[in-house]
Amino acid sequence: MSEMNALSAAVEKGKRNDAKLLTQQLLDAGHKPLDIVEQGLVPGMSAIGEKFKNNEVFVPEMLIAARAMKECMILLEPLLAKAGIKPKYTAVIGTVQGDLHDIGKNLVAMMWKGANIGVIDLGTNVPPEKFVEAIKAHNAQAVGLSALLTTTMPAMKTTVDAIRAAGLTSTKILIGGAPVTAEYAKEIGADAYGTDAASAVDSLLALLEA
Amino acid sequence: MSQTRGLCIHRGDSAEAAPLLHAPDAAKPTLADLLLANNIPIETRCHQRGWCRGCRARLEAGHLETLDGHTIAAPADILTCTIRADASAEATVRVPERSLVSARPRVGVTFSIDTPYRVNPLFPADGARAITAAIDLGTTTVVVLLVNAATGELLARAGGLNAQVQYGDNVLTRIAHGSTTDGLAQLREIVITKTLAPLLTEALRKADCAIDQLNGITVAGNTTMLHLLAGENPASIGVAPFTPVFLETTRVDCERIGLAARVKGLAGERPVVLLPGLSGYVGADIAAGIVATGMAFDERPSLLLDLGTNGEIALQRDRAFFVSATAAGPAFEGSGLSSGTRAEDGAIADLAWAGEDWRIGRLGGGTASRGICGSAYLDFLAEGKRHGLLEANGRFRDAWWTALPEPMRERTCHGRAIRIGSEPDAPRISEADVARLLQAKAAIGAGVETLLARVGMAAREIGTLYLAGGFGLHLNVANAIAIGLLPGFDPAQVRVVGNSALAGAVLAAIDRDALAEMETLRARTTIVELNHDPAFEDRYIDHLSL
Repeated sequence: MSEMNALSAAVEKGKRNDAKLLTQQLLDAGHKPLDIVEQGLVPGMSAIGEKFKNNEVFVPEMLIAARAMKECMILLEPLLAKAGIKPKYTAVIGTVQGDLHDIGKNLVAMMWKGANIGVIDLGTNVPPEKFVEAIKAHNAQAVGLSALLTTTMPAMKTTVDAIRAAGLTSTKILIGGAPVTAEYAKEIGADAYGTDAASAVDSLLALLEA
Repeated sequence: MSQTRGLCIHRGDSAEAAPLLHAPDAAKPTLADLLLANNIPIETRCHQRGWCRGCRARLEAGHLETLDGHTIAAPADILTCTIRADASAEATVRVPERSLVSARPRVGVTFSIDTPYRVNPLFPADGARAITAAIDLGTTTVVVLLVNAATGELLARAGGLNAQVQYGDNVLTRIAHGSTTDGLAQLREIVITKTLAPLLTEALRKADCAIDQLNGITVAGNTTMLHLLAGENPASIGVAPFTPVFLETTRVDCERIGLAARVKGLAGERPVVLLPGLSGYVGADIAAGIVATGMAFDERPSLLLDLGTNGEIALQRDRAFFVSATAAGPAFEGSGLSSGTRAEDGAIADLAWAGEDWRIGRLGGGTASRGICGSAYLDFLAEGKRHGLLEANGRFRDAWWTALPEPMRERTCHGRAIRIGSEPDAPRISEADVARLLQAKAAIGAGVETLLARVGMAAREIGTLYLAGGFGLHLNVANAIAIGLLPGFDPAQVRVVGNSALAGAVLAAIDRDALAEMETLRARTTIVELNHDPAFEDRYIDHLSL
C-alpha cells in the first residue's frame, strides 16, 4: 500500500519519472492496472484538484501533475484495454471548431480519466457533426466542449444546437474555457459549466449520477 | 452635493457629472462595465477580478451594492469591478484620473534602421510636399512619426494609447467587437477621431509643418489593426485557420479611412499605404521589423522575437522564413497581476535582490508609481531563482519567506506575497502572480524551441536574436536567458532593436524598395502552427518550471 501512496504523492508533485517508475514497479509486483489507477493515480490527481479548487495550487502545478499521470496512463491503458476493463461512463471531448488551443481540454480529459470515465478525445478544431458522430458511435453519456478564444465561443452554441438537433436530447453537455461563463452555458442550452479542470469532474459526475 | 438623482459619475476633478447614455447590460453586470460602456475608460487590467485596484473609485454619496449583495455606504473607496451596475442607485461616484487607461502610456519610439537604404520615396516628394507620416498602429499604443521623405530626416513624433482599448485590451476582444458592422464602424471611428487625428495634428504642430506638406501615410500594425483601419471585417482572423481578408500591401486614401474628415485641411486623396503582413497573427509589424532590422538580408540564420500578448517569432534561414505566434497572454504587459502595470513613466522596471532589500529601478520621467512592469517581473523570477527565494515550481521557499521581515511579506487570498518595499501599500508580487508569469514565459520559451526544432536547429546556431517591442527595450537580457524566456541563447547573440515596426514604416516611406522587399517576404514564409505540433505542449509544461 505504501508504494500506492508513493505513486499518489509523485503524481501530486508532478514527478513524472518517479511516477512512471513506481507504476512499473507496482505492475511488476503483480498489482492490477485498475487498482493502480484507482488507488495510486486517482488519489494523487484528486488531491491536487482539490487544492486547485481552493486556490492552494496554480495552473502550472496542475499541468505538471497531469503530465505525470498521463505518462503513467500510457503504461496502463493498453493493459486496461487487454483486461477488458470498461469504465462506467463514456464522455466525448474536444475543442470546438475554429479553436486550436487544447491544453485546458487535455487537462480535463486527464481528470476525467482519473475519475474512471472513458474519454474519447476528438482533438482540436472539431466540427459539430464530428461531435454528433462520436457521441452516437461510442454511446457516450456526456460531451465536453472547450474554447479558449472569445472569437471561437460562438461555435459552442452551434455545436450544442447540432447535438440537440440530432436527437441526442439526454446527452449531458459540459462547456469550459477561459472566456466561458455559467450564464453562457445556460444561454446556449448546455447542461453545465466547469470553472476549472477539477470542478469539471464534479460537474460531470453530478450530471451523470443525478 | 447633498442629494443625488440616480447614479452620478464624475470624472477626475470635474464638478459636472458625466452623461450615462448606455444602460447596464445583463451580460456585463459591473459598475466598471457600465463606465466602459459610457466611454469612461476605467483601468481593468486584472480583467475585473478585483485584484489590481486599477479600477478604484470614490463613492462620495449614497449607497451601492457589491456583486455579492453587500451594501457599501459613502464615503468609501470602491473597486468598480466588484460593484453591481445600477443606473438608478442614489449614489455619486468620482473616478480619479489615475484609474483611467488614458493615464500616460509609455510609447515605444526608440528604434533604428539597420539595413542599407537609399532615398527613393514611396510617395512623390518635392519641396512643398515631402513629409510622410509613418505610423505604428499597435493594439495598445500608437506612434505617428513625421519624416521628410526626400531627405530621410525625422521631424517629429507623437504617441499615445490606441483609443480602441476601451473595447478590449487584446486583439481577440477587438476581433469579436469588430465582427459586426456596427462594432467595426465604432472601432474605426474611435481610432481615427481619438487617436490618429489628434496624434497627426500634434506631430505636425511639433514639426511646425502645415497639413498640405503631407504627401502620404504608411502604416505598420498587426493584421487585425490593419483590417479595422481598412474597414474590413476581421472575424475570420479569430477562428482557425485564421485566414485574413488581406495581407498584401494595400493602398487606400485619407478619405476612405475617414481621416480627411477629422483633420482640417487634409486632402482626401492623400494616399495611405498599409504595409504587407505574413499571416493572421504575424502581421505587417513583424514584416516591417524583418526588413528594418536587416534580418531579411542576414547571411547567418537569425530570429526575431516580439514579446507581446501574442509573442511573434520569425526565424530566418537562407532567406526563407518560419513564423509562429505564441499565446503568452498579457502578464508581461502587467495585466492580471496584483501590482502589474504597463511600461509607463515611474513604473518599477528593474529589480535586484541586494541582500536585505530590493534595489529598484524606475522608468524615467513622472512620479513614482506603485506599479511593476514586465521587465521587473522578469528580474524577480531570475533573482528569485538565483538567490533561492523561488523553487523550481515557482513557490516561495518556506525558509526564505519566513526569514523576511514582517513588513516585507503578506498572506493574501491569492497565496503568499512579497512586498517590494516595506510600506503597507508597497507593490507586491504573489505566488499567484508568479504562476501567471511562468505560464507567459513558458509560452514564449516553448514557442522558440518548437520553431527551432522545426527547422532542426539549436539556439547557439542562430547568428542574431533580434528582440523587438517596448518590453524588449527595458528587459535584462541575462535574466531573460536565466529564466528560460530565451532558452539556450547567449547574451552576445541578442540585439535589442526597439520598435522595429515603426522603423519599418519609416523605411517604407523613404525607400520604396524596402516596401517591395516586405511584400516579397510572404512568398518565402512558412506559417508554423504551434498547437499542431505535438511536442509543443510537452515543451510548454517543461518551461513552466524555473
